[in-house]
Amino acid sequence: MGSDFYQLSILPYAGIIIKICRAYTNSQEDFEDYYQEVCLQIWRSKDNFNQQSEWSTWIYRISLNVCLTYMKRRKTGDKAFVSDSLPDDVIDDSKAFVNDDINELYSAIKHLTETNRAVILLYLEEKTYDEIAEIMGTNANNIGVRIARIKERLSKFISEKD
Amino acid sequence: MTKSIETMWKEGFVNETQLTAPKVNDLYNRKSQNIVDKLLNMFAINIKMLLIGSVLMVLMMSLIGAPLFGIYVCILLVPLIVIAKKELKRSVDISKGQSSYDYLINFDNWLKHSIETYARYYRIFYPLFFLGMATRAVISKAGGKIIALLMEKFPTDVVILGLPYYLFMALACIGFIIVKYADALYRLDLNIVYGRQFKKLDELIKDMKSLRRTP
Repeated sequence: MGSDFYQLSILPYAGIIIKICRAYTNSQEDFEDYYQEVCLQIWRSKDNFNQQSEWSTWIYRISLNVCLTYMKRRKTGDKAFVSDSLPDDVIDDSKAFVNDDINELYSAIKHLTETNRAVILLYLEEKTYDEIAEIMGTNANNIGVRIARIKERLSKFISEKD
Repeated sequence: MTKSIETMWKEGFVNETQLTAPKVNDLYNRKSQNIVDKLLNMFAINIKMLLIGSVLMVLMMSLIGAPLFGIYVCILLVPLIVIAKKELKRSVDISKGQSSYDYLINFDNWLKHSIETYARYYRIFYPLFFLGMATRAVISKAGGKIIALLMEKFPTDVVILGLPYYLFMALACIGFIIVKYADALYRLDLNIVYGRQFKKLDELIKDMKSLRRTP
């Protein structure tokens, strides 16, 4: 990868990629592998960027799409999507962030389905319903209803943990 | 829970130091772990293996005195190379910059089309391969000896295509089983390697579709 491209077009948006990667991985090792995969795919797809949307939206799209179809051979030998839900005792990056609230929130997010994780991450990143609908490929009305349900589920999960 | 999730997120990331990008190593030469890329890679390897296999088949069969059978198998393998090349070309449409729904649907459609195309060919390939092998075995020296031995032990006047009827029937039965299960054999093979991923993909698409439905 041209280091200029990484420095100029990916690194300034690393925060987006990190936030998404963390929601779909359960260990530091998976997270780093996944981060690199997203960067690789952004670089590979750069020629398809048609500038109709913002570059950051493009990064969200690729990050989520790669995340949804990322496969990894596990220690047990079987290949699986990294986003496969795992029991709590297998999740070893519950202290991935310095802030406890964020760790708690991520822990709750990881109990959602892959699609719901994507929707709530975009919402928390202050994307409008229209933008979320565009990235996910649905309509804005449905997004509103889905977000309300996800928030309810997350609040319930966090309250139970407290 | 005292804070809303929006506040937790917003305030939590204000001073978050863990948003520093991890170190990236030799990114350009990295092998992709994406299922689309893995399948594309598989097609590309298939093409190379088939090409090498075809040439080797002709050479090896020529060495053991069966060049015609080698050429026959080589001809049977050619359509597989053509199919793999076509499917590889079609996959260019699966851009990862599409909406998640379009990406998953396009990938799924491509995957189903590829599997169907391969399965359709394998329904012909396996029986023809067996037919070639059986013919080669029957006309070979060793085959002739076995047939002579069989005729001596189990004599019969009913001979079909130069074979005692029971041998012909046995070969026909095996051929029939291969014709009937060629498709299933290919899908089983694919399922062993990618079954779990395909199931997961179906679940993802189902979930995506539910997001598109009116609430």
